[in-house]
Amino acid sequence: MFDLKQTDLTRDEFEELALGHLDPLYSAALRLTKNDRDAEDLVQDTFLRAYRFFEKFERGTNMKAWLFKILTNTFINRYRRSVKERNIVEGSEREAVHERFVSREASEYAANPEQYFFDRLLSDDVLRAVDALPIDFRLVVILADLQEFSYKEIAEILDVPVGTVMSRLYRGRRLLQKQLASYAILSGVLQEPEDGASIDLETYRRKRGKSA
Amino acid sequence: MSIDPNIAAVMDCSEIERSVDAYLDGEFDTQERAETDAHLAVCPRCREWVGGRSAVRSALRASLRDAMGAATPAGRAPEALRARVRAALAHERRPLWRRALAPLPLGAVAAAAAGVLVVLATHGGVDALVDDAVRRHNSDPPLEVIAASVGPEAVLSWFDGKLDFRPVPPRFGGDARLVGGRLSHVREWPAAYMRYALPRGQAGLFIIDDPDGRFAPAGREVRVGPHLVRIVASRGYNVAVWRRNEIVYSLVSDLDEAALFQLVKAAER
Repeated sequence: MFDLKQTDLTRDEFEELALGHLDPLYSAALRLTKNDRDAEDLVQDTFLRAYRFFEKFERGTNMKAWLFKILTNTFINRYRRSVKERNIVEGSEREAVHERFVSREASEYAANPEQYFFDRLLSDDVLRAVDALPIDFRLVVILADLQEFSYKEIAEILDVPVGTVMSRLYRGRRLLQKQLASYAILSGVLQEPEDGASIDLETYRRKRGKSA
Repeated sequence: MSIDPNIAAVMDCSEIERSVDAYLDGEFDTQERAETDAHLAVCPRCREWVGGRSAVRSALRASLRDAMGAATPAGRAPEALRARVRAALAHERRPLWRRALAPLPLGAVAAAAAGVLVVLATHGGVDALVDDAVRRHNSDPPLEVIAASVGPEAVLSWFDGKLDFRPVPPRFGGDARLVGGRLSHVREWPAAYMRYALPRGQAGLFIIDDPDGRFAPAGREVRVGPHLVRIVASRGYNVAVWRRNEIVYSLVSDLDEAALFQLVKAAER
């Protein structure tokens, strides 16, 4: 039972398996901490904790999800959010619930072909838009739309009910979409919506410059 | 595929609106999917709307991948980090009592699954029990009973009546041979002392009765099987201290840490 050799063997396996997820973990850490140094520290702490809790890891379970759970827990413990930010997030979630029942026309540009402006956006704009999301929304969007975890896996990673995952994802995606749309307008990829909605000066000048 | 009119009637447009993400994310079960598909087949407005959401979803995912997917700078860990993590894990693998001398990268973490070697607590300060045991072991007064002349069982019975408790040493396994014993002390408390010959080096075991828990812990606590074992380095010796009910064992040795660990492990399995 306490055979060091055997433990070492499985720990070798663990190390290889876990390090296979280094890139996605780092990528998420970077979006959470918003700087390289903290992201690297967070990832290292995640691996050390995973290593120490290794015995709790059950063979056959999803190691990637398990590592993401440790990463997010470590992040939340380490960089405990201020009460203020918490309140903002919860407020947004209430709003999200409300938004689900408003009419589809009002909700966004959904059926508009100009939605496909996304692929013409700069990566930096996309990253900025992701970083601008409140932390809880940022997390679910990354977990669902980049890492392609299922709702159930995300619920386990974040230790929240599936319903919460769904409402955060709903809200997060639409916030992100809105943010990207505003960058798209700024860079001239997307037309400003009709009826004389105000446009900021920079965009106005850029457009003038292009058409002139 | 023909559409069952009963299924088509189950869903209305507002339900489609509310569930479009789950539908597109592939979270629906067969029945839910069939109901949604049936509705979309007969409702052009919803079909168009879901199509739009689907395109947005794909575009959003694609732009996330382009910005921070595996092939991008924001999606790839620096090589230095990979090396750093490997080094940290290698450090983590070193025997605990060696790591005890190095600064801890993180606070001690308790994860006490049975059989895991885990640092449970770190206490500073000098451990009187350890220091005194090392000093007495090192001074090496003659043994009062020799196993070679009376046999190992007789060494144990030699202690009968000489102490207020009956010292029972752990079974160290084949590699440790009992050489003999004598009465001793640790600080002011009477102790049984037994010496063992090992394939390389030797070890001295102090057995002390400690019903009141006088011995405040120092050093690092490590779990070995069901027991908490403290490992302390003192005056060039490595000392393992552990408790079995009211009895405290203090094993002083000139073994290296790994070998001492094996010895305790074998005894307390």
